[in-house]
Amino acid sequence: MGAEWGAKWGAKSPTRRTVVSWVGAASAFGALRPAVAQTEPAKPSQIVVNHSGGAMGTAMRKAFFAVYEKKYGIRVVETSPADFGKLRAMVDSGNVEWDVTEIGGQDAIRATKMGLVEKIDGKIVDRSKYPAKAQSPYVFASSVYTTIIGYRSDVFKDGKHPRTWAEWWDVKTFPGARSMRNHPTDNLEFALLADGVPMDKLYPVDFDRAFKKLDQIKPHVTAWWSTGQQPAQLLLDKEVVLATGWNGRFYDIIKKGAPVEMEWGEGALKQGSFVIPKGAKNAYWAQKMLAEMSVPQAQAIYATELGYPGLNLDSLNFVDAKVKPYLPTQYLDKQFWIDDAWYAENGNKAQELWNAWMLKKA
Amino acid sequence: MKTPGIFPAVPALVLLFAFFLFPVVRMLGYSVDAGSFEWYAKALGEGLYLGVFWNTFQIALLVTLICLLLGYPVGFLIATTTPGWAVLGFIFVLLPLWTSVLVRTYAWMVLLGRNGVFNRWLIDSGIISDPLPLLHNVTGVLIGMVHVLLPYMVLPIYGAVRRLDPALVAAAEGLGASDWRIFWRIYLPLTANGIFAGSVLVFVLSLGFFITPALLGGGRVIMIAVLIEQEVRQTLNWPFAAALSAVLLAATLAVYALAQRFTQSEART
Repeated sequence: MGAEWGAKWGAKSPTRRTVVSWVGAASAFGALRPAVAQTEPAKPSQIVVNHSGGAMGTAMRKAFFAVYEKKYGIRVVETSPADFGKLRAMVDSGNVEWDVTEIGGQDAIRATKMGLVEKIDGKIVDRSKYPAKAQSPYVFASSVYTTIIGYRSDVFKDGKHPRTWAEWWDVKTFPGARSMRNHPTDNLEFALLADGVPMDKLYPVDFDRAFKKLDQIKPHVTAWWSTGQQPAQLLLDKEVVLATGWNGRFYDIIKKGAPVEMEWGEGALKQGSFVIPKGAKNAYWAQKMLAEMSVPQAQAIYATELGYPGLNLDSLNFVDAKVKPYLPTQYLDKQFWIDDAWYAENGNKAQELWNAWMLKKA
Repeated sequence: MKTPGIFPAVPALVLLFAFFLFPVVRMLGYSVDAGSFEWYAKALGEGLYLGVFWNTFQIALLVTLICLLLGYPVGFLIATTTPGWAVLGFIFVLLPLWTSVLVRTYAWMVLLGRNGVFNRWLIDSGIISDPLPLLHNVTGVLIGMVHVLLPYMVLPIYGAVRRLDPALVAAAEGLGASDWRIFWRIYLPLTANGIFAGSVLVFVLSLGFFITPALLGGGRVIMIAVLIEQEVRQTLNWPFAAALSAVLLAATLAVYALAQRFTQSEART
């Protein structure tokens, strides 16, 4: 471009003085150019986004990746699953394969403390419409999900299903096989709620009280699930009639006509999180990806697909009225937030106690 | 003929050294981080971990025994039948190997559930009135694991039976030995190597299982690989994960050495 200009002006055979000033201007321009190049690094042919996989990948492609690829001409390669151990190994060894990765809420806090993630660039990723608590400098809050009660609507009819955890524990009024997650998170809180602890007094978790309450429900839990798809499948096969599970998995089978309904009362809210690993090869273009994931219209597409609304509060304006009843953000006042910060500190201890409790006979 | 010596094996040895031995040694190094044995004390001192090790070995042993009882006749049959039937047998044995373990595990969930295919068939035909508890317990785990691991038992036994000199059997028959005696005095001792190889393969592979027990055991059947995975991916306590792995490795080697001594003394008699 500079040469073209020079040729143009040069044709006017300028005086010596003007030439000197042009040279100065040109060199100043030249000095400026690398600075411009630094804020917009060369485009790679592809970036790698790591996520949980499954239906989530399909929805992310539809809502975010397709737009990103078209806009920048950079291919988005997907890998899965989210894996905290792998993230640490990548950053420690300096061989970072992911540009963006999903990560569990409590793991995101630990990863930040361990210095495993890049800071999110506020100039690129606009989170001004996000709730204040979802604007962590290092963690991108992608969506909201909740662990709630799913039940067979052909077994529990006319609104007579458990609506609280106290009722979930009440096996006389609500008989039938149950399934809960094979993990301390959610279950410790549910046990405390069933035992009469109010939603705003759950933390710090009283382990003794929680496990004592869990002892009561243990014989009635047929299967402790370990993958997100299991509770939906267990309800479909009528292996159990009540299951705790992530709202999107129930939403998926309800959309397909399964005799299953959800109860939002006392659900355990969590945020889906994404981070840029420290030393990511295309960190700048990873920031651009997060920017794409914060666009309200795109988040609305994602929410409609999976039932997981984004945290850009404007996104709800773009969601169809028929979908809204299936989004956890409609029931925030009936639910509580899982305290990721508490789990970042106490998660390991909780897991160890949980394992010991699972191994205990009876 | 002059033996070619070690050279043809060098590429494989280098590969083994770089991608197996070196990582194992490094992992062992992790477990004695800063020269302390605190993680070993934890692995061997706490009831939780000892209990899970014990569970793991019990299940691995059961799976090995069931695989041996089911696999020996199959391997024997394939080795002694006509070539046409042998091909069919191989297809049945090998086909499951090419299907993902996760898919097969989900298939078992469909088959074994309270309202699963198997229970519904038993109830509809009036054999039982209440569904059998086949899923979300040890039974489910054993069924799923035996299904995955059976080929590893059948193939070495097939090989051992094939290597057996048929003239020995003919001679024994000619001398009037009963079928049972032929099996006991000829087949069993001369296929002991195949039994040993198959059993070790199945046993060692069993120790590392975690998807199948987690799904078919309903979370109740905890094997040590589940805890190691938690320490690696969730807790990020790699020294402890390494210590647990080292204990598992040592125990496995001990079992291997014992079994080898046993089969060698068997073969000599």
